[in-house]
Amino acid sequence: MGLAKYIIRRTIYMVPLIIGISLVSFLVMYAAGDPIQLATAGNPSITEAQRQFLREYYGLNDPIPIQYLRWLDHFIHGDFGKSLYGGRPVNEIISSLIWETAKLQIISILLAFFISIPAGVYSAVKQRSAADYTVSSIAIFGISVPVFWFGIVLILIFSYHLGWLPSAGAHGAPYLWPVFGIKNEFLDELAHLVLPVTVLTFANLAYNVRLLRAGMLEVLRQDYIMAARASGIPERKVLYKYALKNAITPLLTLLGLSIGGMLAGAPVTETVFSWPGLGRAYVTASLRLDFPLIMGITMIITIMILIANLITDLVYAWVDPRVTID
Amino acid sequence: MNLRRRSDKEIKERGASQWAVAWRRFKKHRSGLVGLGMIIVLLTIAAFHNVIAPYPARPHPDAFKPLYEGESAQPPSWKHPFGTTVMGTDVFSEVIHGSIYTIYVAVAVTIISMALSVGVGIVSGYFGRLVDDVLMRITEVFLVFPSLLFILLFSRIYQLGVAEPFWNVFGIKIPVGLTIVVVIVSIFGWASYARVIRGEVLRMKECEFIQAAKSLGASSRWIMLRHIFPNILPQVIVLATLTMASAVLVEAAVSFLGFGDPNTITWGRLMEESLQDLSTVWWAEVFPGLAVFLTVLAFNLVGDGLSDALNPRLRE
Repeated sequence: MGLAKYIIRRTIYMVPLIIGISLVSFLVMYAAGDPIQLATAGNPSITEAQRQFLREYYGLNDPIPIQYLRWLDHFIHGDFGKSLYGGRPVNEIISSLIWETAKLQIISILLAFFISIPAGVYSAVKQRSAADYTVSSIAIFGISVPVFWFGIVLILIFSYHLGWLPSAGAHGAPYLWPVFGIKNEFLDELAHLVLPVTVLTFANLAYNVRLLRAGMLEVLRQDYIMAARASGIPERKVLYKYALKNAITPLLTLLGLSIGGMLAGAPVTETVFSWPGLGRAYVTASLRLDFPLIMGITMIITIMILIANLITDLVYAWVDPRVTID
Repeated sequence: MNLRRRSDKEIKERGASQWAVAWRRFKKHRSGLVGLGMIIVLLTIAAFHNVIAPYPARPHPDAFKPLYEGESAQPPSWKHPFGTTVMGTDVFSEVIHGSIYTIYVAVAVTIISMALSVGVGIVSGYFGRLVDDVLMRITEVFLVFPSLLFILLFSRIYQLGVAEPFWNVFGIKIPVGLTIVVVIVSIFGWASYARVIRGEVLRMKECEFIQAAKSLGASSRWIMLRHIFPNILPQVIVLATLTMASAVLVEAAVSFLGFGDPNTITWGRLMEESLQDLSTVWWAEVFPGLAVFLTVLAFNLVGDGLSDALNPRLRE
């Protein structure tokens, strides 16, 4: 089957999935009750007439199917409506936050990917050596540690105790964080990135290393590796060209999944570091039941995941000749 | 291949059952044993939490005794090994009391999600065709879902309707809100395991003993329960251990973010309550988090040990 045809078919296949996910989220939220009642429950000075006005304003008086169809209509036209808190357009909120989340995640995912390759390969080649035990121990530590706790410990040590790095936010403006006594915007941004990136990289790294180590152990046992070694090919080339090529496919899948899930990936880390990103916005929106904002973020993330899955499958077919598009 | 006499040890091993062999292999796995030891300690603490903890659990008024004694927000000391919180509770006692909820979450999530994934995996792999197609499409939807986000949202919404904070089942108080979280975490957690199990079943379906059972006229249910299930059990046990680890981790995150059961003082909730005092009362964050970490680590260590012990492909 042709590549274009495959992509078109997969895109068509996404449509029911997107509609299904939006329908489920919509129904669950609106079945929970009247969002205006929920949002204003703690406000004693609001009158029933004002509530009624808000319901009218957000179109909440119509039957739920009508509301969903209206939402779907706006969604197809790229409009997610307005936040129930402050009335800011959801599109505007999302576009102001998406870059901060993406920045954090892309750096961490790539760092984790490129660190895990030498670590995983080395650990597998020198199985049961001191280096392997170290790498494996760090990896099991990484998959077991709660990210929020790890983040808090880093804040306690590097922000509160040593005072080296900022503990919250993505920017220090107007008070820039001094790095070695120098204050400029770039260094300030970098200083704010260090702790959250460390936490996220660590979490991603642990999974990558375990996956790659297991894959390499499997591959290194194969006959063609012995054949390659017997032909006198330099060990470095055997490992990084012949063995790694076969062991890396699960890692690529994971990379694709993490890039796809990247916008959803860090609500916990973003909350700990008060990072002005989508994950933290989602947490606040869910706590306050800000339905339009929740729907908006959910849909952006879902679409992102579906596109990344498609790209991952294409890359997979390109890297691994045993897999073909079909 | 050289001919040689089998050693006594090998003869003994050949005679032993599959489980005895696995246990023997597990015993050699040092970190797995350490994990098992940690789990036993956790279970002991949970069983005797009322005896071990110096102060009772909230809402008992004596939980706030350090406050009346003027000892709130105190750093760790002999009297308060993990210090006290700003509102005047003893962190050590609260961590001890929280252990029962951790075990409840680990066990309940594992039972529900394993039942779902084993059921779907076996049925899907065994019947194939249309059944497989439908079940795998459903599984894929769950895999595509950004699960943590949905867990948060669903936990928030479904806890709005909770009227009674506890169910009283035969004198045991079961927290309703926490149970809702448990069910939601399970529902969003089974899909990837179902795929693993389906893969195993597909591989096994081609084995001679299944073909033999079929040609002898065994029913599908008999084959699934008596032939397939026992053979995937080692895989299921490993997956179950890993589920326990991830369940504890996810529930802690849910509580930490403020979506947990407000009537249940879990480790994650302890951290949520004291987060605003982080700069002064660091011990109220560090110790409950350490408890989560050690518990998850213990389950993961045992999981690694079990997968080495039970994975037949790595058997030498």
